[in-house]
Amino acid sequence: MIRFENVGLRYGSGPEILRDVTFHVVPGSFHFLTGPSGAGKTTLLRLLFMSLRPTRGLIFVFGENVSDLSSAGRAELRRRIGIVFQDFRLLEHLTTWENVALPLRVMGKKESDYREDVTDLLRWVGLGDRVDAYPEILSGGEKQRAAIARAVIGRPELLLADEPTGNVDPMIADRLLRLFVELNRLGTSVIIATHDYGLMDQLDAPRLVLYEGHLEIR
Amino acid sequence: MTAVQLIADIRDYPWRNLFAGILPARFQPKTAQIVPSASIAGNALTVVIAIMSFLACLTAGAVYMVNQSAEAWVKDISSEITVELDPVNTADIEKKMTLVSLFLAKQAGVTRVKPLTAEDSAKLLEPWLGHSEALSALPIPRLIAVEIDRSNPPDIKAVSAALSQNFEGVTLDDHRRWRAEIRTLTRSAALGGFAVLALVAAATVAVIVSATRSAMASNREIIEVLHFVGANERFISREFERHFVGLGVRAGLVGAVSAALVFLLLPVVMHLLGGEPATATEMSRLVGSGELDLKGYLLCMLVVFVIACLCMITSRLGVIRVLKSYA
Repeated sequence: MIRFENVGLRYGSGPEILRDVTFHVVPGSFHFLTGPSGAGKTTLLRLLFMSLRPTRGLIFVFGENVSDLSSAGRAELRRRIGIVFQDFRLLEHLTTWENVALPLRVMGKKESDYREDVTDLLRWVGLGDRVDAYPEILSGGEKQRAAIARAVIGRPELLLADEPTGNVDPMIADRLLRLFVELNRLGTSVIIATHDYGLMDQLDAPRLVLYEGHLEIR
Repeated sequence: MTAVQLIADIRDYPWRNLFAGILPARFQPKTAQIVPSASIAGNALTVVIAIMSFLACLTAGAVYMVNQSAEAWVKDISSEITVELDPVNTADIEKKMTLVSLFLAKQAGVTRVKPLTAEDSAKLLEPWLGHSEALSALPIPRLIAVEIDRSNPPDIKAVSAALSQNFEGVTLDDHRRWRAEIRTLTRSAALGGFAVLALVAAATVAVIVSATRSAMASNREIIEVLHFVGANERFISREFERHFVGLGVRAGLVGAVSAALVFLLLPVVMHLLGGEPATATEMSRLVGSGELDLKGYLLCMLVVFVIACLCMITSRLGVIRVLKSYA
């Protein structure tokens, strides 16, 4: 599904952030991506999501060499990937419901076909009563859950999450982890970037550990 | 862009969004716009596009009227020829007028022969020389107006040759020179009109390019999120272009309606400003009745359509260009 071969990345003429990163993600797998702050977790996620191009090495996503893809081809692949950002990236002028429904709207689906699905998912992540609320009045935890709901609404084949439980209380964190596990059980590969050891300890999943630009699998 | 894609674009286009804020609520789209209208352009852009549309409609309408009027002139003078009798060295000009008229009436393709009196000929000079008794003392050429059957016209060359052969000092004018001059005038007017329309189009494109860049910059976060949820360039550009098309249609209509009002009120305004009947006559010679007919108003609608298309194409290309620079 995902293959990195000797991938290196540097911003401009600065030092290499990632060096000779090589790993393989098989369909249906669950990984944690961890490492100290500034180790390059978010950068690696951006490479996985094709919003950055590697300085060297090869990246294959769903069997496609991302260097050979057109922007339309990258967009097509992104529809098969859900991503949760640390800073949520919700659109302020859209309601929670509209934010969550955005990927389906982009796919060209009819609103009548997904109306119930979006509402059910929002209820499931505990935002049933915040359907019509705008992001500016949501708490950090609520924004996080809305962002996660947006990432998973399209039933992605790969889910990437950057510190998905960073802003939620332990109960909601458990619930979100259960959501990720459930999605994984249904066939979605999951990569969660976190340095929350409590979260990682709850699951026996391989850890991709980044340290000083190098990646190690434990 | 393939024809199939173009048809799909037209079919799937969110046409109702063009009239957001105008149509009743039940006709409005239920979900919010991904790119909010307020972030695209302010009233200034709408006013600029409306002015461009106004100028374009005014130009197109004026050129259309001049063209229509000129066509009418050409039609009129094409169905008539003039025979001119030299008054010098002609002892009995009245007799010669009668003989020439009888000769002309016998020619095939001639429907009517109207000899003009000396007073009629003098009146034709009044706009240039004024009303004066002195005119009667001048050797003014005498004229015979000959109406011809346009479906079965006479052989002008043969008639002219026969006239020269049978009558001394008689010439025939088929108005070819005038027709050529009128055509030159209308072509010049049309050329000038096209130049103005091209300038208006260029200014509209420049304004839209600038507005597109500004809209893209102020909505960069939305564009990033759309990329993250898998939107392609076509989807993103459509989200922007629908605003510009809507703006083009609304502003274009305002400009077109304003121009139509000008055409409707022009005769009234001229009257209020103290235009003499002679002024109105001169105006009507230049631009016909001074009012647009149905085709003229349809031309204004065509201008609105072209402006909307310009807005759509320019914003689409502008957005895609900026998106490619992000990649």
